[in-house]
Amino acid sequence: MTTEHTDTAQKPGYKYIGKDRKRVEDPRLLVGRGGYIADLRLPGMLHAAILRSPVPHAWIRSVDATEALRLPGVVAVLTGEDCKAKMNPCMNFGPATVAQYPLAVDKVRYVGEAVAAVVAESRYLAEDGVDLLEVDYEDLPPVTDPMAAMEPESAVLHEEHGSNIGCERTFEFGDVNAAFAGADLVVEDTLHWGRSAGMPMETTGAVAQPGFNGVLEIYCNSLNFSYFAFLIAGALRLPSNKLTMKPVPAGGSFGSKLAAHKVPTLAGFLALRVGRPVSYVEDRIDHIVNSDHHGCDRYYEARMGFRADGTIVGLDIDVVDDYGAYMQFGVGHHGNAFSQVVGPYRFRDVRYRLRAVLTDKCQQGAYRGFGSEVHNWVLERLVDSGAARLGLAPEEIRRRNFIQPDQFPYTIPGGNVYDSGDYPAVLDKALSMIDLDRWRAEQKRLWAEEGRCIGIGLATTQERSVFSSTEFWSLVEKPVLPVTSSPESATVTIDPTGQFQLLLHCQSMWGNSPETVGATVLAEEFGIPPESVNVRYADSAHALPSTGPGGSRYTVMVAGAIRGASRKLRRKLIQIAAHTLEVAAEDLELVDARVQVTDAPETGLTLAELAGTAYFFALSLPEGTTSGLEESYTYDHPYTTLPAPDGSDFGVFYPIMGHACHIAVLEVDPDTGIPSFLDYVAVHDAGTIVNPRSLGGHVTGGATQGIGTTLYEELAYDEDGQFLSSTFRDYLIPTAGEVPAFRIGHVETPSPFTEYGIKGGGEGGRMVAPAAVSAAIDDALREYGMRVRQLPVKPSDIVAAVQAGAGRAEAG
Amino acid sequence: MKPPPFTYCDPESVDEAVALKSEYGNDSLVLAGGQSLLPLLNMRLARPEALIDINKIGDLQKIERRVGILEVGAGVRQYELEDHPLVGELVPLLPEATGYIGHIENRHRGTVGGSLAHADSAAELPCTAVALDATVVVQGPSGTRTIAAQDFFQGWMTTALEPEEVLVAIRYPVTPWTAGHGFVEVARRVGDLALAGAAAVVNLDEDGRFTSVSVGVLGISDTTVRASAVESALIGEAPTEENIARAAKEIVPSVTSEDDLHATRAYRRHLASVVVSRAITAAVARARERSNGK
Repeated sequence: MTTEHTDTAQKPGYKYIGKDRKRVEDPRLLVGRGGYIADLRLPGMLHAAILRSPVPHAWIRSVDATEALRLPGVVAVLTGEDCKAKMNPCMNFGPATVAQYPLAVDKVRYVGEAVAAVVAESRYLAEDGVDLLEVDYEDLPPVTDPMAAMEPESAVLHEEHGSNIGCERTFEFGDVNAAFAGADLVVEDTLHWGRSAGMPMETTGAVAQPGFNGVLEIYCNSLNFSYFAFLIAGALRLPSNKLTMKPVPAGGSFGSKLAAHKVPTLAGFLALRVGRPVSYVEDRIDHIVNSDHHGCDRYYEARMGFRADGTIVGLDIDVVDDYGAYMQFGVGHHGNAFSQVVGPYRFRDVRYRLRAVLTDKCQQGAYRGFGSEVHNWVLERLVDSGAARLGLAPEEIRRRNFIQPDQFPYTIPGGNVYDSGDYPAVLDKALSMIDLDRWRAEQKRLWAEEGRCIGIGLATTQERSVFSSTEFWSLVEKPVLPVTSSPESATVTIDPTGQFQLLLHCQSMWGNSPETVGATVLAEEFGIPPESVNVRYADSAHALPSTGPGGSRYTVMVAGAIRGASRKLRRKLIQIAAHTLEVAAEDLELVDARVQVTDAPETGLTLAELAGTAYFFALSLPEGTTSGLEESYTYDHPYTTLPAPDGSDFGVFYPIMGHACHIAVLEVDPDTGIPSFLDYVAVHDAGTIVNPRSLGGHVTGGATQGIGTTLYEELAYDEDGQFLSSTFRDYLIPTAGEVPAFRIGHVETPSPFTEYGIKGGGEGGRMVAPAAVSAAIDDALREYGMRVRQLPVKPSDIVAAVQAGAGRAEAG
Repeated sequence: MKPPPFTYCDPESVDEAVALKSEYGNDSLVLAGGQSLLPLLNMRLARPEALIDINKIGDLQKIERRVGILEVGAGVRQYELEDHPLVGELVPLLPEATGYIGHIENRHRGTVGGSLAHADSAAELPCTAVALDATVVVQGPSGTRTIAAQDFFQGWMTTALEPEEVLVAIRYPVTPWTAGHGFVEVARRVGDLALAGAAAVVNLDEDGRFTSVSVGVLGISDTTVRASAVESALIGEAPTEENIARAAKEIVPSVTSEDDLHATRAYRRHLASVVVSRAITAAVARARERSNGK
């Protein structure tokens, strides 16, 4: 697989923003100096291994650790009983009656749930100790089918909660019945989006160490601890100033390290109990079965109404979401779907019934898209269905329904705002990159002459970016924690020789490009070479308010924070220069690392000269100016409003709206059911692009994961609750052998609300690829009446559909 | 994912390895390339008392031409079946089939003997061994014996190897110059375990009819399958599309795999006849090319 770029965007007026730039993070990663958590060794450090439940649902009657504790090298064994006695439940944005601990308390609720931790001198010995534990389980009926789980006779996972329905709500905006009554066509479908998850090369891990003054230090590769460290302290019954989270770069996340709180909480708990440093790093099986970050698992009954000309008139969704055993993020995934519930289309009438169900499976967390990708797949499936019934080409029906460029800012049903966009331009760009007429002719010819099945799928998506934290609770009647802040901070320091330090206030390095982005923005602000900036990460004891990456927010937010800090610094530099040069501040400008007189640029001072003055010549500074050159800035969400208390409106919570169009061309072998790509075009509009090269990486990776969810990846539980995909032998992630050489194009519609007009662009690839690929498979096998209704669609599904279609043709 | 404790031995000769096998018997496992064994150890699905590492035994790493025979040492890395000129010349099915084993990195570690002894029913080398009527050479305390490949593979990861024996080599009959071969495998991803696959070698007479057909099928049962019913349905027949397709259906009763995460049983039954038919078709095309080239 190679990815081809077209039209590297270059914004006029910017010197650094918008230009292809190699990532400044890459050199250290490429030479194996990433500094990952598994490489961290502290003196006297112990290792933990976890005993995981082999049964889906059972009371834990006893855990016998006698033999394990006799094994030389085993230091301690801790269980849910210890958690219950000595800590509080973990952070939780879901119902308070669905509490969770890092080790199961009283009962286990899925295969793979942590039951006991063995702490030993090495990971080998810890695993030997796990082997020697004896647990007495009293089995309960497994709850695996979310539909059956809602029935009154079903066994209940959480006695305190009383039923397996974690949340049930219906929202209606407009009048869907009236809209459908006036429709010429209503299509409906039963759809299932199966479970997949982000599978970073590096798993989640933490090393906890009891430090000085009663401070517990936890090194961790989770992402946004400066946002939630106090919650971990609360779980550990520590005053929040006695817990310091230390940033460790993550080797990938895709969501699975977003607020990955249980691993550091457990490591901290174990270290406190044994009084020594303890490392707990998930192995691959730990991560797959128990990441707390399985993706969405949704069953839809969905309907969409159309007028004869293709105009969409309404959407009616009834979704059951199989959340697994806990609900750490509440139903935020559906709040996310509501941020772009109508997609790029103009219709106004929407009904959305949600039932979030608890079952004996690993809980859902975050995975690239956070629920929007599922909603978009459903939306696009229905649009394609309508197009086929009305005899419209997929590009034509979309074009007829797009919100138009002059309609922004545009308020959608539910209250979110789309800031800006040019959807026809994105579609046109995608169509310009591929000769659809030729492919359609070729498709006909190959079918007629050789019986070969070529399919073309076209889909669009909105790409909401920059979340406001209201999405986590706005759907819930009585939210536990109705927070409205999601700030990001940056500290910019110019040292005495004029060199730049950038301090980021969260652990934002998870395989993305926070340092490249930061360096590029600083370069733009000060005219310095981006490669010269040194980037550091603050620990939680030093961090300013910071939410970290997630919801495609980081580039927008950190750029806002850096620009805010830069403005303050620029002002100080200009004041010092004005004082030194004895000219008026308003006659000065900062150009190429130099403050100079606007009308006489040969008169000026370099940043190094000004920095020397700022640090060492206090008596030469203007009145009221203090020594040094360091400024911090906390940038709050640029545009968010409160939801209506009665749920009639969610407010503005995800307004920075990107857009994308993908066109997939593939061939399906009808005898084997194996698909293979022939071409793939992906055009994205993420507003002003900071670095086309790294945005292209996001598109490539996101689309690859979208293809994975569509064709390969499956976190499967059988009906008895056993987990079937606990290794990479069974959990199939697409490789370079399966995915196409993506051809990527960009359109830039700047946001009116963000600094530089940047929008987020980290998730769109995965939000649209499933719809495009599903459509392409249907198209390839249209002669057989294929309709993708369940993901992943596997070779056996395809062959079964082909055989059924051939049978129908024969019977007909 | 760390192995339980084990005793590690690294003998330098086959005799020494056999002596260790005699000492530990079923409580020992031979470590060659480790591509299947190490994951099993790390997941604690295998718990041998002793691990006998045969990588130091130079005698096991030879590829030799004998009269009518290509002999490949058990310790030969799989990629050598792709790269070694003798293999392509004498048994051209092997390089083609070997390319389907995992990824290039796996083939540089994995050994020929390791794959045979592991006896995964979805593996390529057991399948080609059966299709080619190869002979497995094993050594025990009382000396060397040979076992026909079809008798060697006995069931799910089970072979005719006795606890005190070590697999030392495999002997492939040299493929006649006029024969054609074909190998077809279907997997969900490049390098995955096959959903089904087939190896075929055919000879055609002067009228273009089948004089011999041998077909091995992988991934459909507990063990690799020799498709005898398919073969006998074709002998003496013309290699037409219809004949091949009809004969390929004879494999269906041999498909015994149950539904799994990656394929239903119904799909595998269908796929088995598809891969058999395609492998034979490819073999016929090659046989024709060769006879035309004469």
